[in-house]
Amino acid sequence: MVRTNRGAIWAAIIALFLGFAAVTQVHSQEVYSRSLNLETPSSLTTLIANLSETNNELRNEIFDLRRDVSDARDSVANGKGTLTEAQRQLLRLRVFSAQSAVFGPGISIKVDGAFDERALSDLVNELRNAGAEAIAVNDVRVGPKSYFTGTADHLIAVDGRPLRGPWTVRAIGSPDVVYVAMTRTGGIIGQFELIYRSTHFAVTKETALDLPAQVAAAR
Amino acid sequence: MVTAIPARPPRKLQHSLVLLVPAVLFGLLVTLQWRTQAERSELSVRYNTPLVDAARALQIEQDKLKADLAALRVQLDEIQRNSSTQTGAERELQLRIDELRATAGLTPLSGDGVAIQLDDARNVSVSARDVDRSICHATDLTDILNTAWKGGAQALAVNDERIVNSSSVYCVGSTIMVNGTLMSPPFNINVIGPQNALLGAFDDPNQLQDIKQRRDVQGLGFRVTRASAIHVPAYSGALNVRYAEPR
Repeated sequence: MVRTNRGAIWAAIIALFLGFAAVTQVHSQEVYSRSLNLETPSSLTTLIANLSETNNELRNEIFDLRRDVSDARDSVANGKGTLTEAQRQLLRLRVFSAQSAVFGPGISIKVDGAFDERALSDLVNELRNAGAEAIAVNDVRVGPKSYFTGTADHLIAVDGRPLRGPWTVRAIGSPDVVYVAMTRTGGIIGQFELIYRSTHFAVTKETALDLPAQVAAAR
Repeated sequence: MVTAIPARPPRKLQHSLVLLVPAVLFGLLVTLQWRTQAERSELSVRYNTPLVDAARALQIEQDKLKADLAALRVQLDEIQRNSSTQTGAERELQLRIDELRATAGLTPLSGDGVAIQLDDARNVSVSARDVDRSICHATDLTDILNTAWKGGAQALAVNDERIVNSSSVYCVGSTIMVNGTLMSPPFNINVIGPQNALLGAFDDPNQLQDIKQRRDVQGLGFRVTRASAIHVPAYSGALNVRYAEPR
């Protein structure tokens, strides 16, 4: 009788262990499954804000395009041609694809100290995410196919053009929105300040920035 | 541990086995309960369902808005192109617009290039400490895009979202957004461009060191293959030009 119990206790201990192991296993596989259901309410709220912003921009552009389509139809019907609409479209596309020099309000970020090409690429990504419409590093305009590389002597090259620090990254867009996106708690500048401890980052709002057009990449 | 069970006569072993099933179940329950309590905060329980529903509804709305926008762009293009009164100046302007639309990523493109797949490690047992290194992050995507442009890419898309001058990769929690669209792994990155130069850029041991190391050690999915006749769709998002004015 005593011996049987001992066996049962062993079995129970092993079974508990197995049960624990099974759940841990299930759990460690769950970490891989990415689902909105697993996000925290605060992450979800941020995602929703981003989605709403994107959708608002789409709705605004749809509104403008409907007007353009109807203007173009009227012009054609009146025999006037669509020159004005086409010119407006051309200017807009030139700005969007970094083909024309631009001016406007925005922010300026001065980076003084150690920095590298991946961080610069992340900074440009963050500026675009905050709605920046045109970006330049020192005097090199960043375009749709721009890439960032490091050089042996600690320079950062944009499209193959080596740039010496301190670097000034200028971005045209809503000064308030872009400024807050960069400097908020937990934002990219805050993270940089922890990673590049001896580097100084100065973010300022600007009322008038002048950015050059993109020049073909140096290869 | 198993070898620690002393040998038993069959009948007595049966007694122990009777307990085995309930004991396993009990172990499961205890651990599950403990895990669940540790991880689900009050807030998650109360707010997650409506928030997830709202996010999904917005994404569905976005897909429709993008389709509407693409249709309107085609419509405007047709009106301008078919304008019977088109003068020489208008025709020239139209050519420049067509060129710019292609540069900006507003037209679809097909051609040879490379196909890249980036994915979380799957079916690989990784310790909790290593989970972070076994999944893909927004910065992995930006590093891959940077390498592709460096390799001379002409056009590229991530899960059918065309990368243009305003494109960004954004990460919240474990969810990634590209062009403001929700995405989850695997990421299929189609790159059109000179195949040898592109493969050379990705094979360069100095490029993407972190991703390659995580592929070899933690089982992160990362594969670059030569691909012919790949398709990259047109950008279907908004062209935001509100603050920047042409000089």
